[in-house]
Amino acid sequence: MLTRKTSQYQPASQSKGSGMLDGILPEALDRRTFMKRSGMVAGAGAFASQLPFNLIGAAEARGEPPPEGKIEVKRSVCTHCSVGCAVDAEVKNGVWIGQEPVFDSPINLGSHCAKGASVREHGHGEMRLKYPMKLVDGKYVRMSWDDAYKEVGDRLLKLRKDFGPDSVYWIGSSKHNNEQSYLLRKFVSFWGTNNCDHQARVCHATTVAGVANTWGYGAMTNSYNDMQNSKAMLFMGSNAAEAHPVAMLHILHAKEAGSKLMVVDPRYTRTAAKSDQYVRIRSGSDIAVIWGILYHVFNNGWEDKKYIEDRVYGMDKVRAEVMTWTPDKVQEACGASEAELYKVAETMAKNRPSTIVWCMGQTQHTTGNAMVRAFCILQLALGNIGVSGGGANIFRGHDNVQGATDVGPNPDSLPGYYGIAPGAWKHWAAVWGVDYDWIKKQYASEAMMTKPGITVSRWIDGVLEKNENIDQDQNLKAVVYWGMAPNSQTRGKEMVEAMKALDTIVVIDPYPSATAAMAAMVRKDGVYLLPAATQFETEGSCTASNRSLQWREQIIKPLFESRPDHTIMYQFARKFGFEKEFTKNIKVTNDEPSMEDTLREINKGTWTIGYSGQSPERLKLHMKNMHTFDVKTLRAKGGPCDGDYFGLPWPCWGTPEMKHPGSPNLYDTSKHVMDGGGNFRANFGVEREGVNLLAGDGSASKGADLQFGYPEFDHLLMKKLGWWDELTDEEKKKAEGKNWKTDLSGGIIRVVMKNHGCYPFGNAKARALVWNFPDPVPLHREPLYSTRPDLVAKYPTHDDKKAFWRLPTLYKSIQQKNVEDKLAEKFPLILTSGRLVEYEGGGEETRSNPWLAELQQEAFVEINPKAANDRGIRNDDWVWLKSPTGAQLKVRAQVTERVGPDTCFMPFHFSGHWMGEDMLKYYPEGAHPIVRGEAVNTATTYGYDSVTMMQETKTTICQIIKA
Amino acid sequence: MARMKFLCDSERCIECNGCVTACKNEHEVPWGINRRRVVTLGDGQPGEKSISVACMHCTDAPCMAVCPVDCFYRTDEGVVLHDKDMCIGCGYCFYACPFGAPQYPQNGAFGQRGKMDKCTFCAGGPEADNSQEEFEKYGRNRLAEGKLPLCAEMCSTKALLAGDADVVADVFRQRALTRGKGGELWGWATAYGPGEMKQDREREQKREQAGKPQEKKEGK
Amino acid sequence: MKTLLIPAALALLLSACGEYPQTVVYKQGEYQGKTDTRPFDNPPWNGDKAQWENDMRARGQNQNEYKRVN
Repeated sequence: MLTRKTSQYQPASQSKGSGMLDGILPEALDRRTFMKRSGMVAGAGAFASQLPFNLIGAAEARGEPPPEGKIEVKRSVCTHCSVGCAVDAEVKNGVWIGQEPVFDSPINLGSHCAKGASVREHGHGEMRLKYPMKLVDGKYVRMSWDDAYKEVGDRLLKLRKDFGPDSVYWIGSSKHNNEQSYLLRKFVSFWGTNNCDHQARVCHATTVAGVANTWGYGAMTNSYNDMQNSKAMLFMGSNAAEAHPVAMLHILHAKEAGSKLMVVDPRYTRTAAKSDQYVRIRSGSDIAVIWGILYHVFNNGWEDKKYIEDRVYGMDKVRAEVMTWTPDKVQEACGASEAELYKVAETMAKNRPSTIVWCMGQTQHTTGNAMVRAFCILQLALGNIGVSGGGANIFRGHDNVQGATDVGPNPDSLPGYYGIAPGAWKHWAAVWGVDYDWIKKQYASEAMMTKPGITVSRWIDGVLEKNENIDQDQNLKAVVYWGMAPNSQTRGKEMVEAMKALDTIVVIDPYPSATAAMAAMVRKDGVYLLPAATQFETEGSCTASNRSLQWREQIIKPLFESRPDHTIMYQFARKFGFEKEFTKNIKVTNDEPSMEDTLREINKGTWTIGYSGQSPERLKLHMKNMHTFDVKTLRAKGGPCDGDYFGLPWPCWGTPEMKHPGSPNLYDTSKHVMDGGGNFRANFGVEREGVNLLAGDGSASKGADLQFGYPEFDHLLMKKLGWWDELTDEEKKKAEGKNWKTDLSGGIIRVVMKNHGCYPFGNAKARALVWNFPDPVPLHREPLYSTRPDLVAKYPTHDDKKAFWRLPTLYKSIQQKNVEDKLAEKFPLILTSGRLVEYEGGGEETRSNPWLAELQQEAFVEINPKAANDRGIRNDDWVWLKSPTGAQLKVRAQVTERVGPDTCFMPFHFSGHWMGEDMLKYYPEGAHPIVRGEAVNTATTYGYDSVTMMQETKTTICQIIKA
Repeated sequence: MARMKFLCDSERCIECNGCVTACKNEHEVPWGINRRRVVTLGDGQPGEKSISVACMHCTDAPCMAVCPVDCFYRTDEGVVLHDKDMCIGCGYCFYACPFGAPQYPQNGAFGQRGKMDKCTFCAGGPEADNSQEEFEKYGRNRLAEGKLPLCAEMCSTKALLAGDADVVADVFRQRALTRGKGGELWGWATAYGPGEMKQDREREQKREQAGKPQEKKEGK
Repeated sequence: MKTLLIPAALALLLSACGEYPQTVVYKQGEYQGKTDTRPFDNPPWNGDKAQWENDMRARGQNQNEYKRVN
């Protein structure tokens, strides 16, 4: 069993007495609640055990017994993964006293995993960061908010003056709600830089780029619920049973109804334990595996020829590559046999509609963009995209990583994937009600305004790289970690060097996070910690993986001295002098911008991906009437939301008044566009090398006036078709000279969809061949750190790149050096990483929650019995995991056949130990995670995707020895 | 008459520990006390199976039989509860229990046992329903609020079922018939007696013969 | 077996613990603790057992996703 337990824990904060409590009494609380909130009852286990003849619970009673007094029920959404499980919170006198299942939710039907079942602990927040702090002489000391704004603000303004706005790096959060994510991109723009990013870079950036370039949008095409319609399901690089446990409700239901469940993974996961077929592969060999499967599809004529003819471009080129991947070659590269992969291919082909699922097992590679495209191509060959029960079900990670990607702080795009070309800036300037030239003045130059920023995966190189090598004037001087864990980025050993070199580090987070401890380990001052409120202490919308938006109500007021993220943004904006521009269309009350007004502003500008129809009013109506939605189709039958799909999954086209129901399954031609139907996007021209890129005749969405391929709509095409006069005069004024994306009236979209049943972005073929990527046809390339020099010789990586997202990026030179240094002999084990069900992301939040922390108390590495015995290691021994970077991690050995003899696995949620040392003393007093352990990313190595700068975490190398 | 039972469907349990955490949340059970836990057999190997285990509220409960101070009682609904004011923490119930359900807070320097604590089927104890005293000793009384145990109500895959035996059996039967296999009903016979399981099986067979009430739905 | 254990346990109890009444009137094999109320004694059921049982059965169906999806 994975679970590790010891009988008791002794929280270090326990004996601190009342020193930490000074002045943090929130208003209107009784003493009992105060005790609980203040952390006095932290570690009740240890406390309680001191009482004679203990009556369980005596020291940890709920504020008050439930029946007396008024109990309010607030509805929110779990903040721990992208499934979007609804939570009902019972609140009395401002205290969160109970958590009840929401059986009405069509997404989770009341169910929760360990994380979801524990969210009420946020109302205790014993280990939270309780007030602003700064590092003084190596120790964190308390300061006031006013002083914090002054000091931090002055420092950043000075850097801006001396080194330009690009010298500050802003890391946003995938746990901000949509409105906060959107405001942060606006905030950073008004600060004057594109140097911002968030978790999605290191989760699904390769998916977003790879999939969008294949057929239009880089998102999950169908939904968790729709998997109930699948007749076969192939999981590759996804461990849903641990990462998306409530998704398994729909998946296992489908399996009960006869669907075949297959798992292809280097590790025999808990999802694999529920599968009909499991295939073990070598980590990083995904393209070889997929071509191995597709080989049998083509060889047996199982591909959907009509579908490919009408709706796919470039499949012939792919086929040529695939047919070179004969079964022996495939087995050499990935380890899977011909029989195994034949069976997978046959199951997928003979049980259509069949679906695929991937997560970070495919995305986090130097070839991640190609891996995800290869998987898409398999589905296109089988005709499974745009089909209920089929699709590419890409499970996102954090609760709002989809939304933060859609409208949040991306270094290469404004909200809604508009990009950062001048046209995009002008569109958003109009929505924001500010002058384009004013924004330009905030930036160092127009060139810097239209140049993609540094990615979060590489900010450390923005600090450490030689100035002449980077593509901006100055190196980074300050980093603001606004809701992200540093231990989720690779090369931790170099990260502390970067932290050391910075002028200023700011952490804005409900928890001090590993950033605080890592920085305090190498610095004496210049680090500021500002307490943010959690999503349960504010309101706003979040987007689940299936593109459904849900509205969270505020459950409790911000605890301690914490403030909502958008309030902090507003107050910094005031310090920086642009608060008026920042909230031009948004009501501000007590320094808090209205989340509803913010969503309305998002609605007004985000036409590209249909974030325009989800008004706060519509979303709230959905939250109140969850029971009216069908679980399988997600569509409301009757009631006030009649005809809508739950959460108005984007694209929810046009204005809210147009009443588009949302799109449950993307590119589905079997439905009318006003019923959620659609087709592939025309985003790449109409013709290439004499080949038509638009869809074939007859393959348009149901009831469309144009039953053939057509380009995207703009004012010219409208006029040519004679549809222009269907716009109102008001609409015509705004739409003149515009296309469907930039027409602020929404008139073009309305006429095209409502009157003519066509899709605003045109109707084209999906691209199996993405000519603008380094490998137009996905090619298998060995990772930079490979245990197989023989395969490196056959499948070498890319050439080095000089300026890529503002930084030089190495491929071949590193791979070649590793071969020459014979690293594979010194580090013969593949190191991969993944999730545990109890924790999320970098893990500080969940490891600070005693209900969860008790379940996983130590960092560990999974190692196969053969590899363990060869090294004299027994189960539960302490071992050193050594990395080529010189890092070494002291962790427990978990000897298990879950991994093969060539592979070992570490969960990525731990931090708080540094190469054998407990970092407890570097955390602020009383605000440290209960469980601490070695972060796997302290040991991970260099390697970045050739399109997106995604980091390589899933395939590197290590050696393990007994400690 | 309602007879309350737990059942864990090992075909569905994914060892997510949602049940364990729900219990901690609802009753604020301290660190180190696990009224419920998830046990995995064959971890990491083909055939791996998990089951969620707590007090099974046995029909003929061994804990009741061995308790030297007779602090146990069984309610009309078949829930096995105890009076902590009587309990002497001797640990006999732990030896007797086939499921390892009784838990003891460690007490003082010599590892004496505190008063026994175990799953209450979210039915509290002998104190007044949902009083502060009941909550502090036993946790919340959901049955008196018309709710079922939170562990089962929140189970991520609806593997863990709780409630009226007839309802639990119906829910399980429907999915077992759909998928064509039952999965091992771990603990059922030990807790509730082989007789009851046999009755259930016979009833199931009768229903199947009678008119196939749970036949496959159209479109499958 | 049990009859042998009880006197020993009682002796331990009496000698080791000062917090509880020293004289327990003990009737072997019968529940010795406080009487519990029944879950349906409180509002809104006020003793209506049949209604409470119906409500519990209805609540139990929330665990059956086949009720909402086929």
